[in-house]
Amino acid sequence: MANERLRALEDVEKEIATTLQCAGNVLLELSKDKHNASFLDRQLAQFQSSVNRVENELNGQIRYLTQVATGQPHEGSTYSARKDCQMALNRAEYAKVKLGELERTCEIMLDQSM
Amino acid sequence: MASQRVLPQSKETLLQNYNKRLKDDIRSILDNFTEIIKTAKIEDETQVSRATQGEQDHYEMHVRAANIVRAGESLMKLVSDLKQFLILNDFPSVNDAITLQNQQLRSLQEECDKKLTSLRDEIAIDLYELEEEYYSSSYSLWDGTDLPLCEAYRRRDSWASPASGSALAQDDREDLDGPPSQETNSQHHLNGHGAMEKP
Repeated sequence: MANERLRALEDVEKEIATTLQCAGNVLLELSKDKHNASFLDRQLAQFQSSVNRVENELNGQIRYLTQVATGQPHEGSTYSARKDCQMALNRAEYAKVKLGELERTCEIMLDQSM
Repeated sequence: MASQRVLPQSKETLLQNYNKRLKDDIRSILDNFTEIIKTAKIEDETQVSRATQGEQDHYEMHVRAANIVRAGESLMKLVSDLKQFLILNDFPSVNDAITLQNQQLRSLQEECDKKLTSLRDEIAIDLYELEEEYYSSSYSLWDGTDLPLCEAYRRRDSWASPASGSALAQDDREDLDGPPSQETNSQHHLNGHGAMEKP
């Protein structure tokens, strides 16, 4: 859920860039001697729809934040689970080291007996 | 869900500020763009000479274009602030993220421990045989106080059946007396026999 909202905000950023791009294309086309009317119409429509989308999306985000924000800091954490997992991985690593030592010991004994 | 909430003053002020910035920036983009389009219109009658008017229009378009770009950048900054506010204050999604992360970490830990437990069970079987082999060979240098695993199991079996093991118990007692090299093993047997022969 958090990723969806953040992804939506990233799309809004791209939309803002599209808005400025369309505005620049319209002005560039107007600066020419002969204008392509259909291109102008397309770019203008895209500019207006981009601006509307940006405004609606950001309004929606601010409305959602007005509803869920409490003003208190969040005190949850994943520290305990992370620590337990880290200790389990340490146990596995230790077992691996000890097995390596056992293997080396067995190899030495085999070499000596041969 | 009630739409009206009593937020702390700072949060409410912050969100109102976001609203204001959004409206101002969108308004700035639209107004400046519209004015540039209007300025591009060529007029036949001008109050000053055409060159001056052209120069003035050129400068105005530059300023308005810069205003559009500034408003766009301000909107980008607003989006960045909203992302930050969302990460810090969107408690439902923060709770979901924490729950998911905890689940993943716990499942990894359980899987790791399960595999270690099965490894332990397998290794215990092999280790028993290895110890038996090692401590019955000439290479072992153990003293009687430090029992190898196979010896411990043998003693546990002998304790479990005391009737069968008077000679066995005697051997065990003799084993405690000295280091179990092959020579001393034979001595133990000799001592054992000697002990049996004594009246």
